[in-house]
Amino acid sequence: MNPFVQILMGGLGTLGFNVLFHLRGRKLLLATLGGVISWAVFLALEPLVPGEAMRYFLATAVVTVYGEILARVKKTPTTTFLVPSVIPLIPGGALYHTMNYALNKQWSAFAHQAFYTLQLALALAVGIIAITTLTRLITAARMKRKLRSSRHVYHHSIH
Amino acid sequence: MTQEQILSCALDVGEQMLLCGAEVGRVETAIRFICNAYGCVRTDVFTITSSIVVSVMDREGNHCTQTRRITGTGTDLTKLHRLNDLSREICAKKPEPSYIRSRLHQICEKEPYPLWLQALGSALIAFSFAVFFGGSLIDGLVAAPLGLGLRYLTWLLQRSGMNQIFSNVVASFLLAISALLLTRSGIGQDVNKIIIGNIMLLIPGIALTNSLRDMISGDIMTGMLRFFDAVLVAAAIAAGYILAAQVLGGAA
Repeated sequence: MNPFVQILMGGLGTLGFNVLFHLRGRKLLLATLGGVISWAVFLALEPLVPGEAMRYFLATAVVTVYGEILARVKKTPTTTFLVPSVIPLIPGGALYHTMNYALNKQWSAFAHQAFYTLQLALALAVGIIAITTLTRLITAARMKRKLRSSRHVYHHSIH
Repeated sequence: MTQEQILSCALDVGEQMLLCGAEVGRVETAIRFICNAYGCVRTDVFTITSSIVVSVMDREGNHCTQTRRITGTGTDLTKLHRLNDLSREICAKKPEPSYIRSRLHQICEKEPYPLWLQALGSALIAFSFAVFFGGSLIDGLVAAPLGLGLRYLTWLLQRSGMNQIFSNVVASFLLAISALLLTRSGIGQDVNKIIIGNIMLLIPGIALTNSLRDMISGDIMTGMLRFFDAVLVAAAIAAGYILAAQVLGGAA
């Protein structure tokens, strides 16, 4: 399949989800762009990284960086950009195939596919956690430095 | 402001945040910051997706505890953004409870996107993902109206108060029946792609990912609740789909 068509479709699908998530204005556009980026990165990594789960992990990490930066610029929870950005990576297709094996009573293929789906979901979750943990460490370090230099307590810097 | 009022306001904000899809960690932080801003020296918050428990202690050592039972979830990221702004404002300005209540009311009153627009969004999702997963343009165009109908159907089922598991069985059953019939009558080409595009609307992929995220970041309870919820929903969707295939005789 033409990769550009697929990226476009991933973006349009993300746009649809953003409407269901009630996003508006510029945030709607930026969150949709996140979906485009995640699938573009995933496809771009194909010749470089052989493991599919690894590609899911890396693509998720890239859009999590995107989401964390935008959340700070726009002063909004990271979720706002993070959840939409990973939409094309969500293992909906894998979950469907799992279901199909159950329908056809191919139990060994079913178990195999179920674990594969879980593996992809895990790659996504770990990709997100790795970056959010890193961001938290950086923010904490920066806060400490600020605190030391000004002796001023920032009440809601975690928000 | 009395301790009870502080707690009640903090819980109101936390409850609304949880209802529009915030992570439990964020809800706990927001509640803790609000209570501490009003001078509580110790705040203990425990949140899972269906409940919030908060205990606070003031300087004199008086304790106070309140709990909330949370039913229903959704994702409304604009509302979440506004609630986040409100919680920052509360921490910075420490307003009176009546002000907080009226602002909360304002936020909850704001109309989300109308149903028809959500239905169009669903049609777009069904179309895009049918093609995304390798369907033809025609498959996408067949999937789109089904996605539109699916949004109205889930809205109706939600209003009827039917439990979530059973309404998923009904939704996926009707979806699979229509997709199979449309393909057998020669309009659709690949029934799998038509269904896959629409199943993106039902399938708990985001919930599954979030549940693992919760567990890894230490919210084991919430993670397990969400995980089993996602698995049950997935099983319900599979059940509806299998039922449809049985009714129409044989697999797709």
